[in-house]
Amino acid sequence: MARKCVFWITILLFIMIGLAPVAAMLVKSIFVSGELSLKNYAMLFKSKREWTLLFNSLVLSGATTLITILLGVPLGVLFAKTDLPFKRLFAVLFVVPLIIPSYIIAVAWFYFLGRSGTIAGIFGSKAGILASSFLFSFPGTLFVTASVFLPIVIILTMTYLRMVNPRLEEAAKLSAAWFLILRRISIPIIKPGIFLAGLIVFILTAGEFGVPSFLRFDVFPVESFIQFSAFYNFNTATAAAIPLGIITLIVLVVERLFLRKKIFQFRLTKEAMIMAPLGKTKPLFFAAVCALVFILVLIPLGVLSAKSFSPWAYREAFIRSIDSIFRSLLYASIGATCLVLFSFILGYLLERKAIRFYYAVDSAAIFLFALPGTVTGIGLISLWNTQATNFIYASMCIILFGYIAQYTALGERIMAATFSQIPHSMEEAAQVVGAGWFRRLSGILIPLAKRGLVAAWFAGFIFCLRDLGLATMVSPPDHDTLPVRIFTLMANSPDEVTAALCIIMVVIAFLPLCALALAVKYIARHGRNQNKFRCAQTLPRAMRRQAENANF
Amino acid sequence: MLVEIENIFKSFDGLPAINGVSLNIEKGERVVILGPSGCGKTTLLRMIAGFIHPGKGRLAIDGIAVADNGRCLIESEDRQVGMVFQDLALWPHLNVYGNLEFGLTAKKTPRLERGKRIDAILEMVQMIQFKNAFPGDLSGGQQQRVALARALVMQPKILLMDEPLSNLDIDLNLRLRKEILRLQNELGITMLYVTHDRDEAFFLATRIVVMGGGKIQKTGTVNEVSEYLSKLSGD
Repeated sequence: MARKCVFWITILLFIMIGLAPVAAMLVKSIFVSGELSLKNYAMLFKSKREWTLLFNSLVLSGATTLITILLGVPLGVLFAKTDLPFKRLFAVLFVVPLIIPSYIIAVAWFYFLGRSGTIAGIFGSKAGILASSFLFSFPGTLFVTASVFLPIVIILTMTYLRMVNPRLEEAAKLSAAWFLILRRISIPIIKPGIFLAGLIVFILTAGEFGVPSFLRFDVFPVESFIQFSAFYNFNTATAAAIPLGIITLIVLVVERLFLRKKIFQFRLTKEAMIMAPLGKTKPLFFAAVCALVFILVLIPLGVLSAKSFSPWAYREAFIRSIDSIFRSLLYASIGATCLVLFSFILGYLLERKAIRFYYAVDSAAIFLFALPGTVTGIGLISLWNTQATNFIYASMCIILFGYIAQYTALGERIMAATFSQIPHSMEEAAQVVGAGWFRRLSGILIPLAKRGLVAAWFAGFIFCLRDLGLATMVSPPDHDTLPVRIFTLMANSPDEVTAALCIIMVVIAFLPLCALALAVKYIARHGRNQNKFRCAQTLPRAMRRQAENANF
Repeated sequence: MLVEIENIFKSFDGLPAINGVSLNIEKGERVVILGPSGCGKTTLLRMIAGFIHPGKGRLAIDGIAVADNGRCLIESEDRQVGMVFQDLALWPHLNVYGNLEFGLTAKKTPRLERGKRIDAILEMVQMIQFKNAFPGDLSGGQQQRVALARALVMQPKILLMDEPLSNLDIDLNLRLRKEILRLQNELGITMLYVTHDRDEAFFLATRIVVMGGGKIQKTGTVNEVSEYLSKLSGD
């Protein structure tokens, strides 16, 4: 009974926070001057601009997906399955663009390729104009979005390769060389994981606001934002969000039909992964990966560091943003904690099929994740912007609601994957000895799922911290987060200060990850010492027993 | 001599798994390694297959050294060894034909010959009608036959079997033992079989190697080993 109560309260809260705003937004858009009308939608389909936006959004998402898969899968294979030198360092470096707000990468490239950027400084103004026209075009936007979302494909390829049963590769190793094994066995087996990575990249690019907005490439999330914030044209902004909603639904159907069951077939294996030696090709691959890291990660970070290299810039940046820095950290921490609570229950529902409608709840979470932040933001405003609910609308609650609506799916899937590793019998064994659900939760499930909980918290933290689209829409006055503050200050601040703000953003995104890495290291060492201590205690006893047996 | 194992050692994290094992296997022999879990029998098998390499000692197949004092001289794919794994390791994304074809394609066998060899071996294991089925659609016994066919289609010098029947019910286990025996007699292939089941070992072996604590405790015919084991349990 208590179990069911917790489930239903969580689901109702999730519906209220996530689905109700979207529903409110839809209802508002079909009323024109108090009467039921589809005028907004009729206008949408007649307008040539809307079709251009749809085309741009789809082409940008499709091309980004294609490029990230073509680059990310080989890189994931190199980092997970080969003896490439410094592969861990490379993997960490490639993840950097994903951790920080995407438009910061765009800003960095602007300082490098812009009309008065590094290239113009070295090769003259003509080269600067050429480089700038590349950046502020479809290929330039594609280049930046691909570099931002590439880590998703790399991480998922590495993760799924770790789940492949080593026996399957060994069976192939008896007759084939590694290249063929990877091409015909390992990669085809993880195909569902690669499709999932592609799907995530597609929906994140379709909902991307920061990069296209900075590089002035017209897509739907930017249009929704402009219609809402510049013209306060609520209905047009909502109608502009509808094509994205439809794309999201199509993606959701694809995920349901083709991927879900296949992805859940993967299980973590405790066996060590078999490594493919690169042999003579090692220097070649090493050089190629170095070149990619240099272009995609080191150039943008280096340019930002060089541009901000002055104590004045950092002092100015801190003065202008110190409150936002603390707010960002606070909101992201509270947001991540709320996300873990929702994710834990919804992940449990999904994996254990604990109620009849687990499938619908999961679909709703995925739908909200796929919906662009700007659209979710409009929904939240349309629901909570009333006199009665002003205490929510005008406080940090509205941002937290946005985080929960947008990112619960992420943690939910991490928790579902964690629960799938915990045999049902663990919980059942506690049940038969008389432990109630809460006791089983605190004594069995939470301790066993602690790694998943930590992973879900950090994933939630990073996504909340780097969020721009949602926070730009819903942040009340004096509640803006650092990404929003930088985005606003960018237009009126000197380049050095903007660059310093970007570097501060990078640093605060990395601080918790460094703390996690140190904690993991400490726990690993501490755990090992404890094991040694335990061995030292048990060894004499075991030896004593052996001696006793021998005497007997 | 088909397989020569000379005084090999192997340890994992400082703990010895194989502790000075020497063993020779003649062509056409059916050798069964018998021993409890953790005695090093699977490690020995995996060393012959080339998945792990001995820390010390020499290993030769058909007169050619494949590993010597910690160095791998010939990789798995060039050792002409077939293996049936405990969990079978059938590739789930390839159908039965695809599972058998993979190795032949890797060895650049012409398409016509590939087809002939696959059909012949599938006939032999009575699985020809399931040529296009995927592993997930087959029963446990059928999967076992496909795993066996996949190993045999490569015409290996030696067939290694790592407790392939351990996960089956007793009826199926008995039926497949007979099947393995029939195939081995038909093809005359050398077989090294690992098990912890005495009945299975006595049924299949021409020679049994008893292992314990990473060492060979006894080598002999079925009768000799049976006598040795009876004495051991009698003590």
